[in-house]
Amino acid sequence: MAHAILKEMPLENPFQDPLRFERRIPECAVVIFGANGDLTKRKLLPALYRLAYERRLAPGFAVLGISRTAMTDDQFRENMADSVAKFLEDSPFDKDVWSGFAQSLYYMAGDIADTATFSNLAARLKQIEECRHTAGNVLFYLSTQPSQYAAAAKGIGAAGLAKGNGWRRIVIEKPFGHDLASARELSEQLHEVFRESDVYRIDHYLGKETVQNILAFRFGNGIFEPLWNRRYVNNVQITAAESIGVEGRGGYYQEAGALRDMIQNHLLQVTATIAMEPSATFQPDSVRDERSKLLRSIRVMKPDEVLENSVPGQYGPARIGGADVPGFREEPGVDPQSQTNTYAAATFFVDNWRWAGVPFYIRTGKRLPKRVTEIAIQFNSAPHAVFGENGADATPNLLILRIQPEEGISLRFLSKRPGAGMKLRPVSMDFNYGSSFGERSPTAYETLLLDAMIGDATLYTRQDMVEASWTAVEPILNVWQNQKFDFPNYAAGTWGPMDADKMLARHGHTWRQP
Amino acid sequence: MSATIQPEKILRELSDLWVTLGKDADHSQESGVLRACSMTLVTLVEESEDPTDVWSTMAELMPEHPSRAIVIRFRTSTERELASRVFSQCWMPFGHRRQICCEQIEIMASDASLPDLAAVVLPLAVADLPVMLWCRGARLFSLPDFPQLSKIAHKLIFDSAAFPDPGAVLARIGERSRSGRILGDLAWTRLTRWRGLVSQIFESRKYLARLPEIAEIRVGFGGAAPPTGAYYLAAWLLECLEKAGARARVSWTAAPDAPAGHLARIELLGGQALRVSIGVTRDGEHQTALVQVDSLSNRMVFPPDTDYMLLREELSIPNLDPVYDRALAGAARLALAGN
Repeated sequence: MAHAILKEMPLENPFQDPLRFERRIPECAVVIFGANGDLTKRKLLPALYRLAYERRLAPGFAVLGISRTAMTDDQFRENMADSVAKFLEDSPFDKDVWSGFAQSLYYMAGDIADTATFSNLAARLKQIEECRHTAGNVLFYLSTQPSQYAAAAKGIGAAGLAKGNGWRRIVIEKPFGHDLASARELSEQLHEVFRESDVYRIDHYLGKETVQNILAFRFGNGIFEPLWNRRYVNNVQITAAESIGVEGRGGYYQEAGALRDMIQNHLLQVTATIAMEPSATFQPDSVRDERSKLLRSIRVMKPDEVLENSVPGQYGPARIGGADVPGFREEPGVDPQSQTNTYAAATFFVDNWRWAGVPFYIRTGKRLPKRVTEIAIQFNSAPHAVFGENGADATPNLLILRIQPEEGISLRFLSKRPGAGMKLRPVSMDFNYGSSFGERSPTAYETLLLDAMIGDATLYTRQDMVEASWTAVEPILNVWQNQKFDFPNYAAGTWGPMDADKMLARHGHTWRQP
Repeated sequence: MSATIQPEKILRELSDLWVTLGKDADHSQESGVLRACSMTLVTLVEESEDPTDVWSTMAELMPEHPSRAIVIRFRTSTERELASRVFSQCWMPFGHRRQICCEQIEIMASDASLPDLAAVVLPLAVADLPVMLWCRGARLFSLPDFPQLSKIAHKLIFDSAAFPDPGAVLARIGERSRSGRILGDLAWTRLTRWRGLVSQIFESRKYLARLPEIAEIRVGFGGAAPPTGAYYLAAWLLECLEKAGARARVSWTAAPDAPAGHLARIELLGGQALRVSIGVTRDGEHQTALVQVDSLSNRMVFPPDTDYMLLREELSIPNLDPVYDRALAGAARLALAGN
């Protein structure tokens, strides 16, 4: 009996040394559908190359790209060399490393709608497994239109590729459905082929170092967690602003809008990270259970509450820095009468013991004054004004977690002005992630691809999380879809519509200026 | 040079320095300076060494390991001599409006004043933060009063590759390690990239399952005798293989093309033609590793092993490193057996 248990115990790599180097990726093949697309060129291949450069890929590693364009392996390698050299961030392109890495790149032309593609894929994967010793481990990455996810999964299943002598996992990009019903339908289609534990829904925001650092900040330090609740926190503001417009994505954006594109996924995931309870361990399911619980605690708005607690916006034309900037309706590919929201703000409440009554204000938009993503936790003011008028203009303590562009944490508090008298002024204590750790941070895609290959789903979104965030957002979408708004309602280069200010004013708050 | 320096005076100078930096920033309408400190880093160097080398390494380290840097420059003299100067090192991170500054103290000392230094350095150490002592020279490490000074440090960093007799130095530092000192040997740090590659290969369950077959570890090195790094690597491999149930023997091979004191190649050899090898070729600072596992081969680039690269790794491990301690014990045994 004891012998049988020992035999079944997983083998441990005795060479691991977590103090000095991180866990490496086991041998595997990554199959990318949509290999000729933008995401592959800009993000996926540069991230995989970077993992090779960091010596984190196994010798038995291969990438098989699939798209409709006819190409040889060598042409694919050449194309990818150009893309990697162009889109690699903060890192050198080393020809020696590339020449080794390029040998692991393969390509086949195929259409997801064609069943022959998957039988060809099976044959090609078998060849690659023999030649590159990938041990039957395969990560399928769907870098395609979301409408093709179900067909791709079905094709993989029908060709018998969802099971094999190694592990099989599938990665999909957002959007995960366009509403709750379609999100459920997509999950059901994926589950016909893959178990939920093998489905990796990527949310690149969760892969950002500073979003992960929120967990370290909250649960690695003893001093903040006691304050992290309704007794001390007055409100939370989450801002994800972009200074650019839709930049040629008008067609796509017109269908999605800011609420679907940002709040339903990225920003509610960030909210969950900020507000979740500590997990017992840092195991993937333990962390994801807590995130999911938090998302399910978000109060679902009733239809008559929606317009009080949410504000859509659309940018109009403006002149910024001496140049004329078109409004959304003037962008190429956009309907001149479009009702699409390029700005969305909402007030959410989390109905649990910790956060009851604390408003979480979330806003996101295009063509705002600057590109910034940050979370501001505003604490209650001191209960008694000891310093009278000298402290009257005192602002409450603010803890700001900056996600981009200057990743870091700032704590704003009051200090006495030097000199006679007792006059107070706010000062800021800053921790700057980039300058405190000069090490290059991995890109979100490096982190997430590595995790998927290792089998760590902590930073991936689970089905119940997707459904919970759709549940929170769908009532807003339903009401907005049935209204005709007087768009455009904010000029490009401003902080959004006036109604967003009124939404906070109803609770006695104002937006802070990032 | 005078024979005494007062730590209080240095601390006052540091305080004045911050006031000046703050005023300068006000005048230039910048958003002030940010003071950063995560440790006290004490570096011992020979006076004959080019100080710009040391300070440029410090400058590279500062963004990642902001510290109060104390560089002590030693001259061989029997006179008790001590002098100091204080300055700052600031940098403006790209795209930021605020400078980040660290304090730097340079102390000139003679060998004869070594016994006085602990009392000078201790009050200068930043409260509640670790003190790291980096001893750059074999001669300084061997001075009779050095152990007294090294006691002020949480961690002592040195480079055993610079010592003439690998066996003797491994035995000596092994003794210190057994007495509970936290040590960091840059000769061990240089092996991280080698060890990472070995670990990577055995992430494969196929090769992991074959580990017990490994019967021989071949270590190739430049020069006439194995350097400390070769002993460390062999000891670490032996220990890991033992955990996996393999009983391997070590054989040493000279690599005529490799520079003396450098590792050139390791091979793990087992039954049924199992062969894993990593060979490194150098072209100046550029090092390329060729990894061969059965029929697969892969070429990789090693990052340059400059002082900066090695120090940044050691400084990020302020506590005991049990893997290193075990490798050190094993390396000392191997070196003793070899002699």
